Amino acid sequence: MTDSIESPDLQRRSGLTRLKEGTYGGFFAACAVVTLLTTIAIIATLLSDAVVFFSEVPIRQFLTSTNWSPNPAGGGQAFGIIPLVIGTLTVTITAAFIALPVGTLTAIYLSEYATPNARSILKPLLEVLAGIPTVVYGYFALVYVTPALKAMLFPEMSTFNALSASLMVGIMTIPMVSSISEDAMSAVPDDLRQAGYGLGATKFEVSTGIVVPASISGIASSYILAVSRAIGETMIVVVAMGAQARMPPVQEAVFGIPFVNPADVLIDSGMTITVAMVQIAGSDLTGGTLPYDAMFALGLTLFVVTLVMNVLSDIIAERYREEY
Amino acid sequence: MSNTETGTETEAETERQTSDSLITTDVETGSNGRATASERTAVAARDVDVYYGDEQAIDGVSMEIPEKRVVALIGPSGCGKSTFLRCINRMNDMIDVCRVEGDIEFGGKNVYDGDVDPVALRRKIGMVFQEPNPFPKSIRDNVAYGLKIQKFDGDVDARVEESLKSAALWDEVNDKLDSSGLDLSGGQQQRLCIARAIAPDPEVILMDEPTSALDPIAASKIEDLIDDLAEEYTVIIVTHNMQQAARISDRTAVFLTGGQLVEYDDTTTIFEDPEHDRVEDYITGKFG
Amino acid sequence: MATDNTATTAFGEVSRVRGIVFEYLSFGASVFGIFALAVLLIYVTIDAFDLANANPLWLLTYFITLVVPFLGFCLYSARDPAVTRRALVAAGGGLVAIAAVFTAIEAFVGQIPRLNWPLAYLFVVIIPLTGYLTYVGAQGRAGSVGFGLIGRLLGGTAIGLAFTVLFLVFDARLWFLVYTLGVVPAVLAYGYGRIRSVPTAQTAAVPVAIGGLFVAVFLRPVVDTYPTTVFIYLWTLAVPVAVAGGFVVNARGSRTAALAAAGGPLAVATGVGLLGQPLGLGVGGPNALLVVAVAGVPTAVYLHRVADVGEGVTGLGLPVLLVAGALAGALLVESFGLPAPDPWLNGSFVTEAPSRNAREAGLYPAIVGSVIIIAMVAALSFVLGVATSVFLEEYTADSGIVGALTRMVQINIANLAAIPSVVYGLLGLAVFANLIGFGFGTAVTASLTLSLLILPITIISAQEAIRSVPDDLRRGSDAMGATRWQTTKNVVLPEAFPGILTGTILALGRAIGETAPLIMIGAATTVFSAPTSLFSRFSAMPMQIYAWADFPQAEFRYGVVAAGVITLLIILIGMNGTAILLRNRAEGEN
Repeated sequence: MTDSIESPDLQRRSGLTRLKEGTYGGFFAACAVVTLLTTIAIIATLLSDAVVFFSEVPIRQFLTSTNWSPNPAGGGQAFGIIPLVIGTLTVTITAAFIALPVGTLTAIYLSEYATPNARSILKPLLEVLAGIPTVVYGYFALVYVTPALKAMLFPEMSTFNALSASLMVGIMTIPMVSSISEDAMSAVPDDLRQAGYGLGATKFEVSTGIVVPASISGIASSYILAVSRAIGETMIVVVAMGAQARMPPVQEAVFGIPFVNPADVLIDSGMTITVAMVQIAGSDLTGGTLPYDAMFALGLTLFVVTLVMNVLSDIIAERYREEY
Repeated sequence: MSNTETGTETEAETERQTSDSLITTDVETGSNGRATASERTAVAARDVDVYYGDEQAIDGVSMEIPEKRVVALIGPSGCGKSTFLRCINRMNDMIDVCRVEGDIEFGGKNVYDGDVDPVALRRKIGMVFQEPNPFPKSIRDNVAYGLKIQKFDGDVDARVEESLKSAALWDEVNDKLDSSGLDLSGGQQQRLCIARAIAPDPEVILMDEPTSALDPIAASKIEDLIDDLAEEYTVIIVTHNMQQAARISDRTAVFLTGGQLVEYDDTTTIFEDPEHDRVEDYITGKFG
Repeated sequence: MATDNTATTAFGEVSRVRGIVFEYLSFGASVFGIFALAVLLIYVTIDAFDLANANPLWLLTYFITLVVPFLGFCLYSARDPAVTRRALVAAGGGLVAIAAVFTAIEAFVGQIPRLNWPLAYLFVVIIPLTGYLTYVGAQGRAGSVGFGLIGRLLGGTAIGLAFTVLFLVFDARLWFLVYTLGVVPAVLAYGYGRIRSVPTAQTAAVPVAIGGLFVAVFLRPVVDTYPTTVFIYLWTLAVPVAVAGGFVVNARGSRTAALAAAGGPLAVATGVGLLGQPLGLGVGGPNALLVVAVAGVPTAVYLHRVADVGEGVTGLGLPVLLVAGALAGALLVESFGLPAPDPWLNGSFVTEAPSRNAREAGLYPAIVGSVIIIAMVAALSFVLGVATSVFLEEYTADSGIVGALTRMVQINIANLAAIPSVVYGLLGLAVFANLIGFGFGTAVTASLTLSLLILPITIISAQEAIRSVPDDLRRGSDAMGATRWQTTKNVVLPEAFPGILTGTILALGRAIGETAPLIMIGAATTVFSAPTSLFSRFSAMPMQIYAWADFPQAEFRYGVVAAGVITLLIILIGMNGTAILLRNRAEGEN
């Protein structure tokens, strides 16, 4: 045996076949690059107009001034983000008071208690909560929730108020908390649970004492994402919270300590960063004016905050993945 | 294209140098009695090393695989026999961390040369996997798949029929060519995969433990089939089943841990009178 | 102590009270959001259909003529005594329970606004029961046939209507030229190549189509005689749909059946299209032709298949049952002179333009705007999403430029998904509206913006679908000497397609409800006539709802907006339901 069989043609293909392969690969890569371009375009557009804005209004003034009135009509223009931040925080914190505990409990129920049947019904229904258009939530808040709250709890509530908007934002973000937290809890190895039961722990003790601590970083990351979603939420607040940038009414308690009654803030109207953007967009889109640029400055603020939170949640989530 | 003659000369040299892989040149008959007047080499490996990252999976393997024979690669699991098989049609290219050194010649051409297109190579070397993996398409489309991607312009239906007959499946499926390949039983699926592999008429067929996922009856059908396939094709089969290797192969290569080819000889020699004690221990079941 | 085997209580008992309380608490939390949403949806439904003013006898009439026969059909299809027993217990027990609870609440707590016990019974018992029985019934042969038929009728009609809407802004005559000169020759070339095994003819299809497109664009201003719209629709849409249907039937059955399944609906469609108006049928013209053809052919194909299989043929009576029930109900209501509610969501609401007068207000221009925007978003995000996910999943490498690009794109996608939608609105405003100059609030600007917005979702779900294709198949194809593109095209994409489609439809559901980016790019809150070009100002359903929600009048707040919300939700449910059906079907096949 000395011969080798005839040498087959294994040459790299040239010409049409190769070109065709390359074209497809190139096309797919180009489409993938579109996503990168989107990010670049977002940053570029936000920055370019925000820079113009900040050359007119110093960043310091923007970040520390307590008055927001972009329309030149009465009393001159003022661009202070503080009242908007307060509005945004009001909504975010109130929503978090609903979404975080409810979402976590839901996750525990789904991961530890629910039968497979109950899970298969509850999970898609929870997804529905996130799938309802936000403008519809806003409408619900304005037309059904506010009158109900007014009739039952707060007679002096204004038509546009932070509370009902926040409630809806909270309900909308429940599935965000519950689904990510549940994933984290399901990823906890069964060994740990078995170990707990082996020591005579009850199901409650295993769930709260072993599963939750073990999946804490996943839960934390879901919280951050939900809060970030609440910060960027627009339509619910636009429809239900009104559009009045205001500082909270400060009262004096004993010994002259200033304090703010949260109820005052909640039952009154207010303005978030997103509402301020929508308000400007509704009146002035031609470009080149100060309010137009202010819109981009607000957008930049929002972008930076949500990006930082997203990265943060990624880092935390990455950690817990390493654990198992 | 490199010259066949010079290729063979270096081959002979390497042969003398590698003490581990003794190749008896005067093979008269294979264990299955296939006439072996003049043997030509289909695939030749020379000092092949394979690394996964820093880990070495194959260590200096050299062997020649004769045309139209069944060659079995056996050895304990993790010995690198599957890795070696996948080097022949460059399926290891798909694994990023995998690095191959040395030459593997197919028809006198080193398949790791820069100008070799792995896709063109795989069109000449068919492969059958451990788990039957028919495409979720009709039986006809499964067999015609290779023809389709190679833009075969002859009579596709005739070739499908011929391949299914060669794979001993025609009688079972000729009335349901349009039903899904997934509707077949495991053994039938594996024969469908063999039909798929031989339809484009490759030179060599690689089989990676083709019967390990099948029941004994289905497996024996595949074994009979392999015997028939050797009339026309070179078959290189990885198996963990020593009886199988003994039954169907003309030559057997024993890989032991560390990715070394310890012994490569006629199957009868390997099973009756192996040169190395470790091989004998392995064959007789003392380890592995 | 060790010898005392009988006294099990010697171990003592660990209190489970906390655990039980916690379990119920967490269960309560799980249903809290769902419950709140359900209550709100009940109210908005009551408002949209004016059910608060519905006479209980009116409700009862339709309950008996429409709902009871439908539930009976479902039970007949399920053929499971246990289900029947359960349904009867739920319906009967529910009635007693709701009446009791409701009376108690009214007696001790107070009046519940706009809700009475028949309505509560309807929403709390009958609707969930109907949902459950529909699900169970669909598992039976008759039910699956009946629902399949209704699905094809409704789905076909919806798609036909969507086509007619698209032709409001896309030039039907240009389409006629493109179709005649590009699509038909390309399909013929491909088909010839396929049947005769001539690969060159198959490859020629794409250049032929592109060439035809160019010729058509060139000829459009030159040629000035065109067939009427009826004939354009007939030739470019009804005929190909019928031919495709005919091929499907032919592959399964006889040539005669194929001719009947294709020709029957086509003849009816042509008849309605050409003669509907002259004969005074109330419907007619090109749109009627299109809708009848697009709904009729799949229905005919389906009928043939059911007849062919021969199982559950009784299910075909379901549409008849429902129509007859509705007619009987209407007849009874009429003859007893029962006062009917005056729903805000009715035929004229979806066919009329907005108005200052609540009773005349309609959603038509906004629906048209939404359909056009969504159609373009679907095309754009599908192509971009599939291509990107193929790149990320099939063309990846761990190292080198491609590897770096892959990683960057992957991280970037996760971040893009977290950017608030208003910010995308700013992008659309600055880039598409101002910089490129597509204009404020045009359909083009809107659909580009929304496509980018849902792109991360589309990509992530398409990636999941592609990843779920077993690696075995890829390796099988690679080992046959398939190039990467051949493996992707022949093995990966066909397997992943249902999953990709499902993900895309779900993402489109997100796009159809988005409002904030539309406000940012200056979409009109209210337009009074349907748009006529892609560059005219658009409204969309959520924009119109946003505008109406601001109106102070109660008729708008509780009537018109509710009708708009329900319309939007019905479309959403339709889309998501289709997506889920597709997914279940694909899962069932494997």
